[in-house]
Amino acid sequence: MTGRGSPSRFLTAVLHNGVGRYVRQLQRLQLLFSPTAADARGARQFVEEAALDFARRHPDVVLYVSPRAGPAPLLLAEYLNGTVREELIASMTSEEILQLATKLAGQSGLDIIRIRKPFHTDNPSVQGQWHPLTNKPSALTVRGPRLQPQ
Amino acid sequence: MAARLLLPASRRLLAGFGTGAGAGRVALSTAPRRDKKRWLRAYLEQQRLEAPPQRRSEKPNWDYHAEIQAFSHRLHENFSLNLLKTAFVNSCYIESEEARRRELGLDKETVALNLQDNSKLAEQGMSFSRSFLTQCFEGAYPDLPAKGIGALVDFLTSQELVCYVAQNLSVQDLTLCKDFPVPPDVLQRTFFAVIGALLDSSGPEKTGIFVRDFFIPQLIGKDLFEIWEVVNPMGLLVEELTKRNISSPEPRITRQLGVSTVLPLYFVGLYCDKKIIAEGPGETLLAAEEEAARVALRKLYGYTENRRPWDYSKPKQGLAAEKAISSN
Repeated sequence: MTGRGSPSRFLTAVLHNGVGRYVRQLQRLQLLFSPTAADARGARQFVEEAALDFARRHPDVVLYVSPRAGPAPLLLAEYLNGTVREELIASMTSEEILQLATKLAGQSGLDIIRIRKPFHTDNPSVQGQWHPLTNKPSALTVRGPRLQPQ
Repeated sequence: MAARLLLPASRRLLAGFGTGAGAGRVALSTAPRRDKKRWLRAYLEQQRLEAPPQRRSEKPNWDYHAEIQAFSHRLHENFSLNLLKTAFVNSCYIESEEARRRELGLDKETVALNLQDNSKLAEQGMSFSRSFLTQCFEGAYPDLPAKGIGALVDFLTSQELVCYVAQNLSVQDLTLCKDFPVPPDVLQRTFFAVIGALLDSSGPEKTGIFVRDFFIPQLIGKDLFEIWEVVNPMGLLVEELTKRNISSPEPRITRQLGVSTVLPLYFVGLYCDKKIIAEGPGETLLAAEEEAARVALRKLYGYTENRRPWDYSKPKQGLAAEKAISSN
């Protein structure tokens, strides 16, 4: 894919997060799985083994576990800026689900698209933008007497 | 091709062939179709997109107590949960809820909700954050006049900015309010009520840090005169210079380019006692002079673009917070 064709954005943080203090952007995580389906085995194992630990380690994330007869087991992540991400966890093991949940907890909820540069600043030039008169003498500068060409 | 054309005709023939043999075929056609309903997914997705927006609390999986607790943990603050819950209750919610109960035909004793609304907390939070921000700016920019500090504080506590901060902290999901989506004035009041709840539960020092952490980063990348509208910067500059016993500035063209074209560029320098104090560009002489005056004012007030960034480290003493409390 060419650089111009794919959607892209600049490196940003929601609300200048981390300048004052760090606020985790994931606000709630819903684990939707069927209590009987074969592909939700890992999800059930996650609930038994790792869900409590995950919730304890992330007190700022509300974890909802809802067994329901649905089409596929899902991890629904809701972020502070309103983004909702659905992750399919069919036939994943408990460790894989834990890894995915931890990854979701660390993300900001901004679009996951190409970031143009790995750094960003609002003031790109420290010394000021170049203009045609940069490094040119002022009109008012008094110049010394010049030697007349002979 | 010919076979396809023949097919319907042959079916018709078969159907009319005899009732005995055709019975099974008729039964099959009334049974549910076994092919994939391709329209179903698209239809459901369309329904989902066209559905009116719902409050988060009306959707499945919503535990208000857990959400409030997580909110407190998320901000790394120790709220007293009762106060925090009070901070999210707006008076319009109490009214609408009581009206709803009355409509359902409950008797008067059960209609009353016994909830406290957040107006008192909001007032507290508002006055604290305003006075704290004023103290902060007075400490950080001692040369900035009271009008400029007032403009900065007004900008930071304006409805627009407070709503932006509150929405990105997802306060609107927790707010109990009659209308949906939450109107901006209610959201602003709720956010100040949260600050008021923090003030009551953790004291002024921590609340000061909270206000600093969430409001002051919003000034990043903003220019002083974007926030503070000065109509006549030259007049203000002359005023400031006379206060400091400096002779009034003398504008001179220092450089110019393309004067006879449609895109001229002038640089005007301001001289006081034959010393340059500021230089500014502009498309006309007047605009350049104004810009130069603004540059000079920024230098005088210590609010230049290359000023030292705000110090977000933990303060040793909560002096500013104490002052804010005493001036309340």
